[in-house]
Amino acid sequence: MKHISCLLLSLLLGLLVSADPKYKELLNLQPLNPASLLASFNFKSNASLQSYEQQHFKYIPRSLGQILQHAKTRELHLRFSTGRWDDESWGARPWGGTKEGGTGVELWAWVEGDSDADSFARWVTLNNALSGLFCASLNFIDSTRSTRPRMTFEPASSVFNASSENLYLLHGSLPREVVCTENLTPFLKLLPCKGKAGIASLLDGHKLFDASWQSMAIDVRSVCPENGSECSIEMEQTVDMVLDVDRSKRPRDNPIPRPIPSEHLQCDQSKPYAGDEACYPSDANLGQSWTLAEIFGRPIQGSCLAEDSYGQLRDSVCINVPHEREVNLYGDAVETKNEAGTSRCFAIPASNPFELVLSHIGPQTFNKVSQPPLYASRSFTGHGQERGGVQTLLTNPSTSSSIQFVYFETLPWFMKPYLHTLTARLTTASTTSPDIIEETFYRPALDRRRGTQLELLISVPADSAVILTYDFDKAILRYTEYPPDANRGFDVAPAVIRLLPSSGNSSSNSQAPLYIRTSSLLLPLPTPDFSMPYNVIILTSTVMALAFGMIFNLLVRRFVGADEVEGWNLAALKAKARGRVAVLVDRVSGKGQKLEKTVQ
Amino acid sequence: MACNPRNAFPGTVYNNADRALDLYGDNIEVDYRGYEVTVENFIRLLTDRLGEDVPRGKRLGSDGGSNVLVYMTGHGGNEFLKFQDSEEIGSWDLADAFEQMWEKKRYNEMLFMIDTCQANTLYKHFYSPNIIATGSSEIDQSSYSHHADNDVGVAVIDRWTYYNLDFLETQVTSPTSKLTLADLFGSYDESKIHSNPGYRWDLFPGGEEKGRERLVMDFFGNVQGVEVEGVGGNETEWREDMRRLEEIIYRARARGNMTGAKKSETPVEEVIAPGRDLGKGRVEGAAKIEGVEAWGQRVLGAGALLGCALIWGGASWLESR
Repeated sequence: MKHISCLLLSLLLGLLVSADPKYKELLNLQPLNPASLLASFNFKSNASLQSYEQQHFKYIPRSLGQILQHAKTRELHLRFSTGRWDDESWGARPWGGTKEGGTGVELWAWVEGDSDADSFARWVTLNNALSGLFCASLNFIDSTRSTRPRMTFEPASSVFNASSENLYLLHGSLPREVVCTENLTPFLKLLPCKGKAGIASLLDGHKLFDASWQSMAIDVRSVCPENGSECSIEMEQTVDMVLDVDRSKRPRDNPIPRPIPSEHLQCDQSKPYAGDEACYPSDANLGQSWTLAEIFGRPIQGSCLAEDSYGQLRDSVCINVPHEREVNLYGDAVETKNEAGTSRCFAIPASNPFELVLSHIGPQTFNKVSQPPLYASRSFTGHGQERGGVQTLLTNPSTSSSIQFVYFETLPWFMKPYLHTLTARLTTASTTSPDIIEETFYRPALDRRRGTQLELLISVPADSAVILTYDFDKAILRYTEYPPDANRGFDVAPAVIRLLPSSGNSSSNSQAPLYIRTSSLLLPLPTPDFSMPYNVIILTSTVMALAFGMIFNLLVRRFVGADEVEGWNLAALKAKARGRVAVLVDRVSGKGQKLEKTVQ
Repeated sequence: MACNPRNAFPGTVYNNADRALDLYGDNIEVDYRGYEVTVENFIRLLTDRLGEDVPRGKRLGSDGGSNVLVYMTGHGGNEFLKFQDSEEIGSWDLADAFEQMWEKKRYNEMLFMIDTCQANTLYKHFYSPNIIATGSSEIDQSSYSHHADNDVGVAVIDRWTYYNLDFLETQVTSPTSKLTLADLFGSYDESKIHSNPGYRWDLFPGGEEKGRERLVMDFFGNVQGVEVEGVGGNETEWREDMRRLEEIIYRARARGNMTGAKKSETPVEEVIAPGRDLGKGRVEGAAKIEGVEAWGQRVLGAGALLGCALIWGGASWLESR
């Protein structure tokens, strides 16, 4: 009997696994503090690997699928991000940092190839094709911006073994790239409902790019279930954004905050200087209550393919607030609350608009944000146009366990680090500690051909901070190599930090990887005076004109000695005048007499 | 750039301080932006001198039947227009690029519009047929901005562009609009534009008379006409087409079966041969750095130093003797 029930159970489990839906979407709303809200959109599409290889596209979009097949790319990760994740007040990153990228555009992929050169050619093809699809300048990822990280990234696909299948990992980033509506448009077009229905209908460029921080991600990987059923290709699209609730609630055509009239001003009476004359504006009701339409500009327009294979509606919106907090709904949705008392989810029927109202209650009705495993901040040191330094502060907030991570940096070729100056020391110690950096992978830069790649395996003891520093030289570029806005500075891509599971804890070995990215840096390079060529032309022309004039003058003028010139005396002048008069008189009188005259 | 951090209205470009019309919209796509906007790229786009990796979205993709609209606006002067505040395109550059387009059959008719100071000088040197050109101001005339939005902090639109847009928004209301270029050019009011717009008709066959009859939607609308050759229908011809289509479908099916059987091969895609000079720029992996504290290296270094000192010492000793 027991055996039969076990069999039944395993059968049921198998059914559940095979009934894995081909398309899923989920919106997770999490108020981080009274003033900001994290909205995580996740869209997951599936197709069997066989149908994908036969170019039978349904939920995997044809436009992207064909590019990947053409460039023989087996796994793709593309990120568009703006802003900075403020981990001091927002805590740990969503998805453990795996779905975010550095500022601008970041791309890494596993590309098939017989050799390095072969895979690089396909990588260039891939970048060009993606630049057309996503309206971004991805074609600028050339050999100077491409690297092959050794430790930082691992394939998310369970199906392949990178070394045995001739797969090459390539990574490139464009920290200068501006992310805007033209990148969101193709992103939404990849979805089955094209952003017209379901949670994607909330995605509006005006709100998304007004967010304090946002990251759009596309991941394509292949998955083979462990029970041996059919392999599938999975595409995951993610949009995470941290909205400033007050800012989002302002009307679109008048977003600039105006002073509040004094009669509407609420004063913070807890301040010692509060009184009748002084008013310190209270932020007690900042972003307290909101509706979806207020924050995103419109309510959710029904659902998109929300029914699973049994015809049951799946949850598509979740909000992480304690159960004490009142959440009102407009539209018929099914609510399920989780047992821990921290979140509730809603299943939305297909056709009706759905609106959610978070009511205004006291400030304590928030889930506490979790502590990030590591704080990282990177900055430039030094001064002057010739050289500088980079300093990274890595803080382990944990009081009990040490932390080990890979620190990965790519530098442009015109920033030339000196590896011998690379030091790591604890903030508490005055001398360098040699055992902090455990392993170093380094590829030096070549002028105009490739950038520097630096990968360090670092461990930080519990409750301490490490300062990593190195010095670098600034190169002088050729006149034509400067961009139009050279005086703004040159962006240096963010460092990527991959946290490794601590070896002491065996259960955490299987956990998903955690990633952290620092902010990008702005490197001022010595820039020439761009009007210099014109000044040079003008100056040279002047000098040449002067020289030519003088030489010409010397060549055409006839020189005579001072003694060869007749004097300038009055008698000669008188004689001449008299001669002229005589000629005139002769002409008039018609005598035709000739007079001799002196030639001067 | 609509998402520049200095824009107080992210993802939005307005044509007017009343902020009624968002020009950036909700589903815009941009093919060239940022540092990609250069004179070189513009001329390459017009003349289709692009590498094979460049995707279709970044090509003009026009042929001998296409009507092309070129609308340029920015800072400029006598016979030039600035790009990115760092380089210029000249009147001759444009004229030669258009001639090359004509030779390559990349347009049927072209409407060239330019809004900059002394704009009418920019189309002075055009010499290719079928071009109608218009500009906002004569030589030695400035083109002015329409008005400024104090919240944005800059002037939002140029005068000539503003009245062109105004005409298109209020008069041209449907894709089937029958308004002609005569209506568009007739709508220009010099007292409002504050400069004298210019027109050039002599390159167009039939001159001004024929040119003025051209519909605005011939250039501004994406109206695609279908040409049916040999009206009445040729029985054998379409049967032949159908037969060919069948063959294509049959071949595609055969391929599909093959890919199903042989997983490693996808014959649909041609194999990309590694480029000639791509090997030069290939990306090499990083190498592991051994510990800086290696004693072997130190001994080697000390040995080399000692050797040099010995040689020097020996040489000076020999010399002193």
